[in-house]
Amino acid sequence: MRLEIEGLSFSYGDKAVLKDISLEVRGGESMGLMGPNGSGKTTLLRCIMNYLAPQEGSIGVDGRPLDSLSPAELARTFAVVPQSSATDFTFTSYDIVMMGRIPHLGSRLSAVSKADAVAVRKAMERTNTWQFAGRVFAGLSGGERQRVIVARAIAQQPQALLLDEPTVYLDISGQIEVMDLIRGLNRGEGITVISVLHDINLASRYCDRIALLSNGRLEAVGTPAEVITAETIQSIYGVDVSVRKDPYTGAVYVIPMSTTAPAHRHGTRVHVLCGGGTGGPLMRALHDHGFSVSAGVLNVLDSDYEVAREMRVQVVAEAPFASIGPDSHARNLKLMSESAAVVVSAFPVGPGNFLNLEAARAALEAGQSVFLVGAGSTAIDFMGGKADAMVRGLIISGAVVVTDVEELLMRLPSRRGSS
Amino acid sequence: MSDSKVKRLGGLPETEEGDSDFLRARRRRVLILSALPFVLVASFVVSLLVGALGPIGPGLPIGPDGGNVRMSFGDALGALLGHEGDWPADYGTIFWDVRIPRAILAGLVGACLACSGTAMQAVFRNPMADPFIVGVSSGASLGAVVASLSGLAGIAVIGTMLSPTLAFLAALMTVFLVYSMGSVRGRVYVDTLLLSGVAVAAFLGAIVSFLIYFAGQEYHRIIFWLLGSLSLATWGSVAVLAVAVGIGTVCVFLYSRDLNALLLGEETAHNLGANPEALKTLMLVMAAVMASAAVAFTGVIGFVGLIVPHMVRLVVGADHRILVPSATLTGAIFLIWADTIARTVISPIELPVGIITALCGGPFFLYLLRRTRSRGEPA
Repeated sequence: MRLEIEGLSFSYGDKAVLKDISLEVRGGESMGLMGPNGSGKTTLLRCIMNYLAPQEGSIGVDGRPLDSLSPAELARTFAVVPQSSATDFTFTSYDIVMMGRIPHLGSRLSAVSKADAVAVRKAMERTNTWQFAGRVFAGLSGGERQRVIVARAIAQQPQALLLDEPTVYLDISGQIEVMDLIRGLNRGEGITVISVLHDINLASRYCDRIALLSNGRLEAVGTPAEVITAETIQSIYGVDVSVRKDPYTGAVYVIPMSTTAPAHRHGTRVHVLCGGGTGGPLMRALHDHGFSVSAGVLNVLDSDYEVAREMRVQVVAEAPFASIGPDSHARNLKLMSESAAVVVSAFPVGPGNFLNLEAARAALEAGQSVFLVGAGSTAIDFMGGKADAMVRGLIISGAVVVTDVEELLMRLPSRRGSS
Repeated sequence: MSDSKVKRLGGLPETEEGDSDFLRARRRRVLILSALPFVLVASFVVSLLVGALGPIGPGLPIGPDGGNVRMSFGDALGALLGHEGDWPADYGTIFWDVRIPRAILAGLVGACLACSGTAMQAVFRNPMADPFIVGVSSGASLGAVVASLSGLAGIAVIGTMLSPTLAFLAALMTVFLVYSMGSVRGRVYVDTLLLSGVAVAAFLGAIVSFLIYFAGQEYHRIIFWLLGSLSLATWGSVAVLAVAVGIGTVCVFLYSRDLNALLLGEETAHNLGANPEALKTLMLVMAAVMASAAVAFTGVIGFVGLIVPHMVRLVVGADHRILVPSATLTGAIFLIWADTIARTVISPIELPVGIITALCGGPFFLYLLRRTRSRGEPA
């Protein structure tokens, strides 16, 4: 089923909820509607199911205007899975799924046929709910209930599924179960899926395309990789995220960064010499306490490099797996010489990055404060004792050993001055 | 419970035996439904054959010959079969003009209230709703009290029709008022409707209390009406109620699938092809007409419209295609029995039937409530 939305606007009274939305959903695709709370996702879904009538614009279903469809035709076109379904009445799961057959029953007096019973049973077996067909719906767990509702949608034999945050009340296994089920229907039966999803990662994983709404406007449409970028998420949700690619599913996913800005930024810059994942927590803690951070020399693909990039701090980078070259070493020294203090994490040292320890010695010789975080040795010495000896030399030359981040923060210069 | 859990975790396919177990339970519901008409006929016959004849109660006319007429079981059976027996000639008339219309009226009123209650519970998506939730009883009470105090009640033809007519009209007007309070631009908001119903009922109740306070000699008569009684049954009232039951129950039954869908929410109902706004309005009108018609002739008979749908739902399930006819028939049966008890339990004195329904209904309801709660199911 193809859906064309043209210049759609909807308002509740004076409050404009959707503004001039134009969107095409292709037959058989899985389209995700995303956006912050109040951006109009659910309202758009309700317009598509003709539950709300837009003031302006049109919606076409396979070239036919939506409002030319009879209620029964409409019910055979779309099946809706709401956020949650609760009822105080003692319907059995079977009763609930059988309701999906209402649009196929014809007149009010016609009875349920064998074909209806078969459709219900198949839908329930498909969703793995047949075993509690006789149980009271309200007594099931949230995940079981949602699967029964999906079974009802399947029994409805629609051309498109409309899902309004179908997994919002489910635990992680329930989420994957329901979403996999829906993807199976999408891929197997070619049913078009339009789903409102809050969870960006779920949307990225299960949608072919994503439409991003903000304040009732359509801000972006495209594949998850096109739409989900740190910049769009920042501009629409106001949250810094790190966007990565899941090597297992190939889907992009986001990791939110801290939204709390440091209480006050004193601007004192600290240069961090690190690598191998030892510098990440250090840089974050320094950043959270108002320091400016720079780092070096880090190989691209090193996780410390990734963290530094996400924190948008100045970083001297070297090509992946390459030894520190004279160029980057020089830039590192320069960046370091302009900072108030140098912090050295207990990183693994090998021939490739030994120059970082050399840089620390240069800083000491230039009279800068140098702090060694950890036990005053390297994490792993790949140089047969040469690195550890170098660290001991740093301590003798006046480098301060701090046991952890807390102590480091206590002893850093601006910390003493400002608090 | 634990058995099905094991199966679920094991992911084993359900055996054929398990299937037929569950489907057999569904067939049993239909069987219960088809047995109910026979139970209704039997209850009707039994109620004709027991009890004192004639309306007896405070402030009401007494039986012929200046006393309470009693009829033996054999006499009643003879009269039913049309035999001339050796009893006073009045007996036959009393049997045909009092006892039979009264039993039929009991059945019709019970059916009205139960069907109305079922529809209201679906519209309000709340199993605690009853036919009087939108102000029917308070409106009807005001109408009836005004009729009693108007001084016109004593006049022959007008007097007997005045009270039901005023009660019926006042009930419908109240419902309309509550409905317009609870709807905005053609959209019915059931929670607002519910609260409007409560507020309007309290307001009208205060007026009724005020009127009763100054009612003087009409006091007994009003209280008797307010407690609900079938003693004023006539063939005329039977005819009016038959029409209300006919239209109301058929209409509610025809929309039973839509009511099922409505219970999952208005959005879902819409998605399944129903029109929730039109459905709510139609069901409210039907439920209000049935409840108003019942109340107009018999006064406020409580608990039937709440208990019967609730009780029947526990047995046959929530599917309205089975629930609506089952509840309607059970309502008829229940009220026939309640009235039979009301007029025989301390014979020759007759109790208002509303006392019986509340006396039976209240504790039974509490029992159901506790039982379902302790099983962890929704009430």
